[in-house]
Amino acid sequence: MTAATGETNIRPSNARSRGAVPDHRGSWLPSGRMIAARWYELRKRRGLMLLLAGVTVGLPTVYLAIRLVLHAVAPHTYGPAGGYDGYVNLVAGVLYVFGFIVAATLGATAGSVDLTEGMFRHHVITGRSRLALYLARIPAGLGIILPLMAIGFTIVCAVSVFAAPSTLDYNGARVPAQLSRAELVHWATDHPNEVVNNFPLRINPGDLPNTACLPGPSGPDGRGAKAFPGSTTGPCTTAQLRALAVNVANESYDDYSRHFLSPSISLMVKSGLWIGLEAVVAFLIGLGLASLLGQRTVAVVLMIVLELILTPLAVRAHLPHLMNLQRAVIGAATAHVEPGGLPRPFGGSQTEQVLALHEPTGVAIVVIIAWIVVWTGLGAWRMSTRDA
Amino acid sequence: MSVQSLAESGAVQDPDAWAVEVHGLTKRFGANIAVNRVELTVPRGCAFGYLGPNGAGKTTLMRMLLGLTHADVGTMSMLGHSVPKDRDKALARVGAIVDEPRFHQHLSGSDNLAMLASSREPAANTRIAPALDRVGLGRRADDKVGSYSMGMRQRLGVAACLLGDPELLILDEPMNGLDPAGMSDMREMILSFVDEGRTVVLSSHLLDEVQRTCDSVAIVDRGTVIRQGPIAELLAGSSLVLEVECSEPERARGLLLRVATGSSIDLVPFGLSATLPPGSGRDLVAEISRVLVEGGVDIYRIQPLQASLESWFLEVTSRLGAAQ
Repeated sequence: MTAATGETNIRPSNARSRGAVPDHRGSWLPSGRMIAARWYELRKRRGLMLLLAGVTVGLPTVYLAIRLVLHAVAPHTYGPAGGYDGYVNLVAGVLYVFGFIVAATLGATAGSVDLTEGMFRHHVITGRSRLALYLARIPAGLGIILPLMAIGFTIVCAVSVFAAPSTLDYNGARVPAQLSRAELVHWATDHPNEVVNNFPLRINPGDLPNTACLPGPSGPDGRGAKAFPGSTTGPCTTAQLRALAVNVANESYDDYSRHFLSPSISLMVKSGLWIGLEAVVAFLIGLGLASLLGQRTVAVVLMIVLELILTPLAVRAHLPHLMNLQRAVIGAATAHVEPGGLPRPFGGSQTEQVLALHEPTGVAIVVIIAWIVVWTGLGAWRMSTRDA
Repeated sequence: MSVQSLAESGAVQDPDAWAVEVHGLTKRFGANIAVNRVELTVPRGCAFGYLGPNGAGKTTLMRMLLGLTHADVGTMSMLGHSVPKDRDKALARVGAIVDEPRFHQHLSGSDNLAMLASSREPAANTRIAPALDRVGLGRRADDKVGSYSMGMRQRLGVAACLLGDPELLILDEPMNGLDPAGMSDMREMILSFVDEGRTVVLSSHLLDEVQRTCDSVAIVDRGTVIRQGPIAELLAGSSLVLEVECSEPERARGLLLRVATGSSIDLVPFGLSATLPPGSGRDLVAEISRVLVEGGVDIYRIQPLQASLESWFLEVTSRLGAAQ
């Protein structure tokens, strides 16, 4: 064939003419077909899909279904399934923490199975840009996890709103839900003793005009009432009591509004975006980490350790010399941008956590962006340079 | 035998005409040199065998061509496109199987091909069903790959190669795991590809299969190409074995040593077996026959045996080993 060996001298045959169709396969941008194919491949993983659906949809659904049934069977023993408290616990507890883990698991799967199952080299041999092969996994994976999170979240919202109790047990006073400030004041004038005796706000009657009186057992309706410490004034008249209740209701409205029976639309929108952000971040980190390592199991274990051990430590521990390191933990940053009205994730009171880790919002946003960029970059770099 | 550069030899008049062209390619893994300054050219429209013992560097060369791993030194091109610089253009018309073909086990054969077609041009989608039919998997297209045998996965790998309507197919050990019928089918398929004008480069250590399939071969040993060319020409330069069934073998041996100098002659149960020097032709056989008859030896059978690729391969590699 070649003169190089001195043995052969084959001439090349006439080449068969096949015009290459320009399809931009060298571009780093993935095509829609690549994304759709990747999405399909992930969706067909039955075990993974069961895990994802079970955690994001099944877990809150089963929990709420049990509560609905229990309330229907024994309404006096078991409260309504919906309501504000159940909502915030499901969102800040189940969907936030477990959503992170399953999103990371999906990311780790998307980032590693092509390698471990031998398909990556088939794709590389097509001449398609390795970077495009990597980037196609992002919309494909998010196209799975975000709809599932949305379904689970929608179920939680629906039950929280439509199965909410009709009255609110507000520090012992059964108050109608969803009242405006004027409506609460009006309700307070009709129920002055309940307001004065049970609402948490304490007002020195001496500071209030026309209320220089002592609400208590000697009050107009004879019901027990707490005396203001050190008060030396006499019992209130009905008018004085109503005036006091109006003032207490007015001052308590902000607190009352945070304890509405069902979450406000604003809170639902904000918390929906928040757990969506959490899922996106977890997916991208899982994807990058698994692509870097070339395998799924270790990546998933590391992500669970990060979420369940390192992040709670970073958020709650008081370590003055390591505060910047604590702020750099992704869980601390996402917890920081949690919408108001939700309990702090990873336990601990808001006060404890604020004292332990003060972090400006801008810093939290920078930390989130940095984690996304760094892990996506590392994963893309490794997939572009590794032997296939 | 050292291999000089094609460029230096001036043998290449139109570099774009080669399906594969490799110059000075080297790849090291630590201290181990897997591919050592390889010079290789593959003409278009033929079946080309890349042969060598295990660990000779066959697969590594293919992986470098396909962009699966990086070369340390050297230049490569496929179908006239420099690799890795224009690998997207080169690979657009290349189909390849490297190592054991593996696929997503939870997807069907058809779905796996759809996955791969998504990385190619849109027309690749229309080639999925014909490709599966061509390799004989049309009826199992919707079964999960996890239920496929090794031979079926090999054929699925070939179907994957066809998605891009390739001008060049690179097949690494395509006969691995195939039963005799499967090997026959694969051989027929490779020959049909060549008939269509495609180029097939295959590596194998099943030399008999290669001889039946390929037009040309290159022999690689310890990372270096030591011979390359058309099989017929390479074998023409190999030793010729002559079997002689006769009376008086001892006397016949003496006569043969006088006429066929440089030959190795052994006494065997049926008579003599003579290994004639490389380049011996039909004239020498006729001369031997005449001398034996004139010497009074009765000849019952005289048969020249063409050396097989396998015997030639062993001869070349053992000669090289002895020289080293």
